Amino acid sequence: MKKYLLLPAMAVCCLTAAAQDFDNTPTIELKKNDFRFTVGARMMADVAYYHSDFTPLKSGGSLSDARIRTSFAYKDWYFYADFGFGGGKFSQKNIFAQWSRTNLKGATNYVKAGYYNDPGSMARNTSLASYHFISRPGCTMALGIGRELGISYKIQNKSFFLNQGISTDHAYNEQTAGFDGIAVSGRWLYRPVNDARNTFHIGVNARFAHNGNGKVVNNVLQRTLTLGQAMETYVDGTQDLVSAELPWANNVINVGAEVLYKNPKFFARGEFLWKHVTKSRDSYSLFEDAQDNIDCWGTYEAWLAANPLRNNNFYGGYVELGYKIFGDPYTYNDSEAVLGGFSGKSLEIVARYNYTGLNDIVDGEYYSAGRDQYYPAGYMQDYPFASSSVGGGNVNSVTVGLNFSFNKYIQVMADYTYSHLDRDKLPYDRNFHSVQGRVQFTF
Amino acid sequence: MKKQVLLSALALGAVALTSCENQEFQNEKEDAMRIDVQQISPEMAKVRDYVPLYAVIAHRGSTFWAPEETESAWRWARNIGADYLESDLQASKDCIVLANHDDNLARTTNIEKVFSEYVPSTRKDFYRSFRNPDGTQHFSEEDIEQQYQADVNSFRPYYAMSYYFHELLMLDAGSWFNETNPEQARPAFAEQHQYVSALRDQIAYAEGKKLNRDANGERVITYKIKDQYKDMTLAEIRAAMPQAKYMAFVEYDFSNAYVPDPADNGNRPGIYPEFKESWVNPANMVQLVYDELNACGWNIITKKEPENAPFYINGKVNIGNTNGKVILQTFTFDALRQYKEVFKGQVPMCYLLWEGTYATDLTYTTPTGYADIIKFALDNGCHIIGPAISGAPNNYPEMNKPWQAYMIRKSGMLNHPYSFDSYAQMGKYMGIYNYGIETKYDSLMRIKVDPSPYSIFTTQQSMPVYMDGFFTNRSEMSLRFMIDQGFRCNSKIGNPFKEGAWYDNSQAPHNVQDAEEVLRELGY
Repeated sequence: MKKYLLLPAMAVCCLTAAAQDFDNTPTIELKKNDFRFTVGARMMADVAYYHSDFTPLKSGGSLSDARIRTSFAYKDWYFYADFGFGGGKFSQKNIFAQWSRTNLKGATNYVKAGYYNDPGSMARNTSLASYHFISRPGCTMALGIGRELGISYKIQNKSFFLNQGISTDHAYNEQTAGFDGIAVSGRWLYRPVNDARNTFHIGVNARFAHNGNGKVVNNVLQRTLTLGQAMETYVDGTQDLVSAELPWANNVINVGAEVLYKNPKFFARGEFLWKHVTKSRDSYSLFEDAQDNIDCWGTYEAWLAANPLRNNNFYGGYVELGYKIFGDPYTYNDSEAVLGGFSGKSLEIVARYNYTGLNDIVDGEYYSAGRDQYYPAGYMQDYPFASSSVGGGNVNSVTVGLNFSFNKYIQVMADYTYSHLDRDKLPYDRNFHSVQGRVQFTF
Repeated sequence: MKKQVLLSALALGAVALTSCENQEFQNEKEDAMRIDVQQISPEMAKVRDYVPLYAVIAHRGSTFWAPEETESAWRWARNIGADYLESDLQASKDCIVLANHDDNLARTTNIEKVFSEYVPSTRKDFYRSFRNPDGTQHFSEEDIEQQYQADVNSFRPYYAMSYYFHELLMLDAGSWFNETNPEQARPAFAEQHQYVSALRDQIAYAEGKKLNRDANGERVITYKIKDQYKDMTLAEIRAAMPQAKYMAFVEYDFSNAYVPDPADNGNRPGIYPEFKESWVNPANMVQLVYDELNACGWNIITKKEPENAPFYINGKVNIGNTNGKVILQTFTFDALRQYKEVFKGQVPMCYLLWEGTYATDLTYTTPTGYADIIKFALDNGCHIIGPAISGAPNNYPEMNKPWQAYMIRKSGMLNHPYSFDSYAQMGKYMGIYNYGIETKYDSLMRIKVDPSPYSIFTTQQSMPVYMDGFFTNRSEMSLRFMIDQGFRCNSKIGNPFKEGAWYDNSQAPHNVQDAEEVLRELGY
């Protein structure tokens, strides 16, 4: 009977196609001959209370995530798809096909194609349902990479994890102009300790991307990269407080390092992220467009001097700690190289420090909040005034949390986060406090 | 198990309910009160107090009754009883400081007819007109030809910066007014040559003078080469100039340029000139103005007036004889920075506000943006903020809402909004109606006004006031309004900057003549 109920569900899921954010085993499973079909779902409901110095955040509740997932396995092949309905909106999550085989030496090879998380960043590759905090670290949202349409090859055994791939910038090639962009990236880890009790991994990740898409204005392709994060919360997910717009973004280089240690009662993990954004533009065409009145720029050189273009660097990082007061031991997922989620009745206490740096300000420049403008001369000027500074905001956040699992399906979480913001545009917004709670179930 | 789930859900629900109870929201009216605004220093407050409260500032002399920024407009403004003659600063090619609003003279003069779009055909003759003591031509033809080519290369048709002051005096700045304002047109505006004004001219009118004219009605003014350039060729002079497009080698003799105005009624207003965009004026424009004020004896840094000189004496305006005789103003950052270097905050300065995305506009008129711009103004030595106001006929962006006026007042700066054309606008910002209702800013904005012999009320009034002076195109109407409402010709007006103190301007002229009668008396 189950079979007849589940097969139509599978068909619906396939037809409605929108990270591999589930990394626990689905509960509902159908096996027959060589294939295995699963279906599952999850829900996260959050409440939050915020207190801030100046700009208020919207306290309240939110259905932060609601998803249906399905998978189909046949011999060495695996198909996975999940679809999100959080916030009342349908969204494309992961959808991919994967081939994998373990060789005689115990190493498993994977070839994966579809729409899924970029290999870089441990935090972004850890399912939110298995995360030990209500949100991922802010720096991974601001500087990390999300899902992309691509293909990757991965090989891993007990000691090594090597994952690399090539992808486009996003899934639908629906940019206004240009091409969809291209990225090559990888995550490479060494696991000197990896047994049933203890795991220690250390590694690096890197990504090179060419930002291809943008919009055309006066025959000039304008490509803009936007970086930002919420204040480590989903109830008010505004990125207005910490965000940076980077016009003329050309190539984007991400380099990161990560470390993870866990034993049955304790885990510690952390990442460092560095993002380098190069700039490119058709300066001469812009100069030509600016020659439209009697007060325009006299020479191309004068225009260039007044409109500097500079590459930008941004940094971020976090450290997370967890201690299991009681319950099943912490687990480690070898194939994804991430910490496992909740299982069985348990109680843990966690803490995190996060730093996100979206300020890349040239020393000595003057900032006017009345014009949201940096001035290279160190004072306000009529002309020229173009600056290459980026004032997206630096934020330091500290989170402490308590997580309780009633069983492997349902958990409640509570986090307190203090964030300190340093952003010229928002001089009165310094301190943010949030108390958040979550109920989540996954099956 | 069920009990645990239930308890957890209840706990989360309680947090959610608590959070909603004290939820705040973005509100500029509240934020204006929450933000600390930088305060004016005691030294700067002393300069601020050079300026009379509730000053009526005659915008361009008048834009309604006479050709703006000409002899007729400023003589009218002086005689009608305005406190300040407002103007805009431009510079001619020979760096004479002009008092004229537009950098392009096509709107307010007949320059298109006189010079067309080319370097004036009289330019070479102008160079030839400089003579040696023996009567021979001073500059050689070759030198003149080279200079003419340089003039062509840097020429901007109709822009004041491209014409010598001598050439600008050929223009008629009065006839256009009659063509565009038929209801206020007067033959005399065309018949009595209205000139493009120099700053010196404006000061002369404030001093009770008028232009010295010859039998043909043309102004008397001669010129020569400045002493430091008298032995140089034009090429050498050009090389000596900080900016080659300016040729500041001509010295005009203003000593005989003015005569006492027989129609002068004794008012001595101050002047309120504005520095314009830096890129259409010489780089040393602020220094030029400093020197010009010096030459006229109107620079209070070098020639101080008595500290106790009254703003009004026996029914006459006397501001032109006080340390408040000059107020400077500007929108531009460059001019403000130069003002700080040259005038060092010792002459009252107004920082003007306009909302927009232009290079010198205020882009974010939020309380945060407003506080930042007040700080910028104070850091650069300003004493006054001049916000744009809404209302017909100009329909400027509104930058003097009660919360904005409150932030200016909180800083201790004066508030001189611009520009007024109607009774409705004055009533709004002087707290008579519209903004006259009780607001959360009353602690700073509400002042008491006792009845005066000329006020239209007989008992003490209390009203929120959102300006401390204002730019008006209708000085006659503004003066009457201020007298009627007790803000002028009154010995007991609450002083918003000195708690418990009264402000006394009872000696101000209380008789405001009919505007057209004044024009007739002046000979127009």
